[in-house]
Amino acid sequence: MENDTERFDLIILGRGAAAFSAAIKASELSSGGMKIAMVGVGPLGGTCVNVGCVPSKYLLEAANAVFRPRHPKVPGIEPASVKFDFSELMKNLRSYVSHARDTKYVRVLENYGNVKLFTGLGRFIGKKTVMVSDSEGNRKVVLSASNILIATGSRPSVPNIEGLKECGFQTSDTIWGLEKLPKSVAIIGGGAIGLELGQALLYFGSDVTIIEALDSLLPQTEPEIGKSLRLHLENEGMKFMLKSRVGSVRAEEGMKFLDVVSPHGKEVLEVEEIIVATGRVPNTEYLDLNMAGVKTDQRGLIITSRNMKTSASGIYAAGDCVSKSMFLETLAAREGVVAVSNMFGEDIEIDYNSSTWAVFTNPQVAGVGMTENEFASQNGSCSFRIFSLENLTKASIMGETDGLIKITVDPKTNRIAGMHIMSPNATDIITEGAYAVRENYTIDDVVATSHIFPSISEGIKLAAQSFIRDITKMACCVE
Amino acid sequence: MEVQKVRLRIYGMTCDDCAATISKSLKGEDGVLEVKVSLEDGLGEVAFNPERVKPADILKNKIFAKPSHYKATIDDQ
Ligand SMILES: Cc1cc2nc3c(=O)[nH]c(=O)nc-3n(C[C@H](O)[C@H](O)[C@H](O)COP(=O)(O)OP(=O)(O)OC[C@H]3O[C@@H](n4cnc5c(N)ncnc54)[C@H](O)[C@@H]3O)c2cc1C
Repeated sequence: MENDTERFDLIILGRGAAAFSAAIKASELSSGGMKIAMVGVGPLGGTCVNVGCVPSKYLLEAANAVFRPRHPKVPGIEPASVKFDFSELMKNLRSYVSHARDTKYVRVLENYGNVKLFTGLGRFIGKKTVMVSDSEGNRKVVLSASNILIATGSRPSVPNIEGLKECGFQTSDTIWGLEKLPKSVAIIGGGAIGLELGQALLYFGSDVTIIEALDSLLPQTEPEIGKSLRLHLENEGMKFMLKSRVGSVRAEEGMKFLDVVSPHGKEVLEVEEIIVATGRVPNTEYLDLNMAGVKTDQRGLIITSRNMKTSASGIYAAGDCVSKSMFLETLAAREGVVAVSNMFGEDIEIDYNSSTWAVFTNPQVAGVGMTENEFASQNGSCSFRIFSLENLTKASIMGETDGLIKITVDPKTNRIAGMHIMSPNATDIITEGAYAVRENYTIDDVVATSHIFPSISEGIKLAAQSFIRDITKMACCVE
Repeated sequence: MEVQKVRLRIYGMTCDDCAATISKSLKGEDGVLEVKVSLEDGLGEVAFNPERVKPADILKNKIFAKPSHYKATIDDQ
């Protein structure tokens, strides 16, 4: 070990959600005594606050505010036109992001004198030794610690499409700098990020086409929800090219041309802007993980146990750089807490099964636990019900009956194994599903629990009741 | 039996009594043979019989469990 090595109790590689939650938990557990080095580049707070959850939800809220008055749901109310200045709106989005970063990260860190920030990229040069370097790879400082948390997150993946780089494109890292609303947009990738950005731009007035390699949307959810969401978005004017691939891209006279191979043959799509939303890749290749004996999967994601321990003793990982199937701020933060707690000798595990996920389109989509297919393939059989929002009083008053609630139960015990929702406020009411899956509630527990009438959450109770009776023949006051 | 040693980084100690309390509790752990706790360095050195106790068990000693405010991690630097 070199003489200029700075010793810490804990090194955290990264400064996003996982890193912050870990640093705060470690400081709390050690009563501020743990000497922590936090290493990273880019603005504090990482993806979520700067280029992820926060700006995307801001953009969707703004888009909804433009769209709703133009499309009133109550007969008798005339559509009203809403004037907006896109460039001003984006300026305010950026200033909100900077405010959120300042209050939730920069100023928070000022309360933790035990955390020392190092700006630069970290790389293992020994089992418990990390070199911090600048963007050119020049060594700045060497750090060592008994415990190390890798929380280096992920970045947008860019497919190798001929002409794409030369042509120029946006990703979820760059789109927040847009000044002018593009008249037409092709979004490559129909996952959560592509759909959220697509609906926001559509509501502002862009002509939006989603190009998706699979034949359905959101494969992580129930197929009925993927289909229902696609139909809803199509009715709003979004175009879909499913089972389609972009072969090449070229730019001419300010427009971009995509050669798309679809089930209908070769098509050329002409747009003003391209957004690439084909998934994310982990920031792990720079880390020299072999030096520390940390194993990754084929995608470069770090393999951990449910205690967030990697294959190397004393080295933990948390957040988007971990090998798993859901990549969320909430999980990153929880994994950071699990990792740190286990450094202090606790034995806690991350519970992916009762973790909720969401897509913030309108209507929203949210889920927890297993889908019907997942349960059936693991257990041979399952029991499920699909409750349409057509039968929900609150949804019909709102004029928002596109959507459904699907509950899957274990037929042997009636315990709720999964809940998937497409509805207004799905991101709020899914928490009931999280309790149900985590605490092994049965459908009877849900039916016996009071739900407000009329509300969207009442839909969950009705979905549960539909296991025991035909709810289309039920008065709204039946318990 | 080959005696093994583990070093602990101990947090939350403010006085000699703290060090003594922690030391006493660790000595009570089955398999722990000798304990030295330094308030000044925030460190503890524990000699143990690996056939009877593991370092991870020592971290789970009741002195480090809630509601105690003493906490420890393994220090292998
Ligand atoms: C558009 C978009 C919308 C999203 N919306 C939601 C949402 O609504 N709800 C939700 O729960 N999740 C959402 N997510 C996902 C969420 O943002 C991520 O899951 C979360 O931010 C991951 O946090 P993290 O700490 O793992 O990584 P990050 O926040 O990405 O942090 C990684 C950090 O590591 C640093 N780093 C990288 N390499 C190195 C290195 N070699 N050495 C040191 N540091 C390094 C980076 O500089 C960065 O600071 C969204 C993501 C996107 C892109």
